[in-house]
Amino acid sequence: MSPFHFDGLVWHWPIAIYLFLAGVSAGAITFAILLKHFKLGNNAYKSGFIQAACLIAPLSVFAGLGILVLDLTKPFDFWKILVFYNGTSVMSVGVAVLMIYQLILFAWLICVFKEPVLNWCHGRWPLVNRLLSALAKHEPSITGFLTILALSLGAYTGFLLSALTTYPMLNNPVLPLLFLISGLSSGAAGTLLGGVLLKGNPDGKEVHFIHNIEIPIILVELVLLFTFFIGLIISGGQSKIAALTAIGEGFWGWVFWGGIIIVGLSLPLAFNLFMKASSKRKFSYVAITASCSLIGVFLLRNFILYTGQMTVA
Amino acid sequence: MKNSRRLFLKSACAVVVAASGYTIAKSSTESVEIDGKKYALVHDETKCIGCDACSIACREVNQVPEGVSRLKIEREGPYGEYPDQYFRFTRKSCQQCEDTPCVKVCPTGAAYKDPETGIVSVDSWKCVGCQYCIAACPYQVRFINPVTHAADKCDFCKETRLKEGKQPACVSACPTQALTFGDLKDPESNIVKVLKSAPNYRSKTELGTRPKVFRIASREGEVTL
Ligand code: SF4
Ligand code: SF4
Ligand code: SF4
Repeated sequence: MSPFHFDGLVWHWPIAIYLFLAGVSAGAITFAILLKHFKLGNNAYKSGFIQAACLIAPLSVFAGLGILVLDLTKPFDFWKILVFYNGTSVMSVGVAVLMIYQLILFAWLICVFKEPVLNWCHGRWPLVNRLLSALAKHEPSITGFLTILALSLGAYTGFLLSALTTYPMLNNPVLPLLFLISGLSSGAAGTLLGGVLLKGNPDGKEVHFIHNIEIPIILVELVLLFTFFIGLIISGGQSKIAALTAIGEGFWGWVFWGGIIIVGLSLPLAFNLFMKASSKRKFSYVAITASCSLIGVFLLRNFILYTGQMTVA
Repeated sequence: MKNSRRLFLKSACAVVVAASGYTIAKSSTESVEIDGKKYALVHDETKCIGCDACSIACREVNQVPEGVSRLKIEREGPYGEYPDQYFRFTRKSCQQCEDTPCVKVCPTGAAYKDPETGIVSVDSWKCVGCQYCIAACPYQVRFINPVTHAADKCDFCKETRLKEGKQPACVSACPTQALTFGDLKDPESNIVKVLKSAPNYRSKTELGTRPKVFRIASREGEVTL
């Protein structure tokens, strides 16, 4: 069985990239909301990290949707997904969430960058002024909705796969949680990496704040991965075969142990703990830690997607 | 301010929980009551000789392009010692599930169950080719038709032979009468008689799909654990 071509394989790597990007978007905006709410307040837009998150969130969700549409066998018919609706289809529900998410996302971005936008306009267009103020009045509600939508989007990518009874490894209730948590950690990593690249202070309060949340997130992710595979193995039958094929010998076993467990989770955990102990964080520490996390989550999406389809019920 | 925000969060959460709960509850209790026919098929594996007449007829009648197929006869064996060797033949095609994974996941409703006949079909115009149904079918019988770019599979010849009032192509082509097609709701039909006369089984019933392709098991074959 070759790692990228085998019987039963339906969804290929573009779907893995889509799952990854949707998670990054949801995670990045969640951390932007947390940073603004708990640390930065109205000056949030000045922070390189907020700017990074606010760039990453819309760009990655657009890119993800673009890939999804191109991956259809009839890409020009994509609008039919928007027009027709099937309440029992996780994909239909997810598309609805994605559309509302993007709307609210832009409303929130406008609220965050209200001041610089107004300054830039110099009060030239009174209509813009009134519109922005009206939006900003509802910022608490917008923030609340966006949080809920972002978390739904993060979990949705997991539900999309866990709805498939065909594959015992994917048809697993832990999967949406695992995707949500790993999506959050990829969003945090994207925010950190983008932030230091945009000249954010690598020892700033944003980094301290995100790193403090990142440590428990990595630990929860490890526990979820453990639960995921132990659950499969205990269920026996095809589930056990699926789990053992995935994390056993061979290409995907290497990806799992080397790429996901060591590079994606253990190294960032070690770096985080080390940075907590050492007095000062440097650009390179933050950038390398974040890159490891991102690589880990990207590999996790591919790993789950491919190995999940290897064993049929 | 604080209070209004808390109230907002509470109500927003309530809406989310209620909406998702409603959708799930609706999808699981929804069982379309069908007044019309309920077509099904029996494959008698004791009669099947693996000649492939059925799959060839299917390809011709339904204009199934090269490289894909609606019907395959899978061969297992040989079992036993020469010259007493035998094979076991199983039919791989859409099982016409009563509880249909492919219909449930389709975002556009292109995969649907016809209320008149109970036949699961694809509306190739509505299909966008997301392949969700292909992944969702536990029997792995759906494919993308290279000509229409839409999902495709056996539809009991609904658009071809059935329309003309004839039996499905594979059924008519079978030289040993291993295939019986008919309406499960008609107690006088051939298919009900065949099903009552011989013990039969269906594939992967543990998944709750309630397939409408019945099989009469050949005595041959392995005992597997
Ligand atoms: S066998 Fe597959 S394609 Fe046919 S009805 Fe069942 S799930 Fe759908
Ligand atoms: S491939 Fe077509 S029929 Fe199948 S789920 Fe997607 S839209 Fe529906
Ligand atoms: S019923 Fe028709 S479409 Fe289905 S396998 Fe037979 S010939 Fe093909």
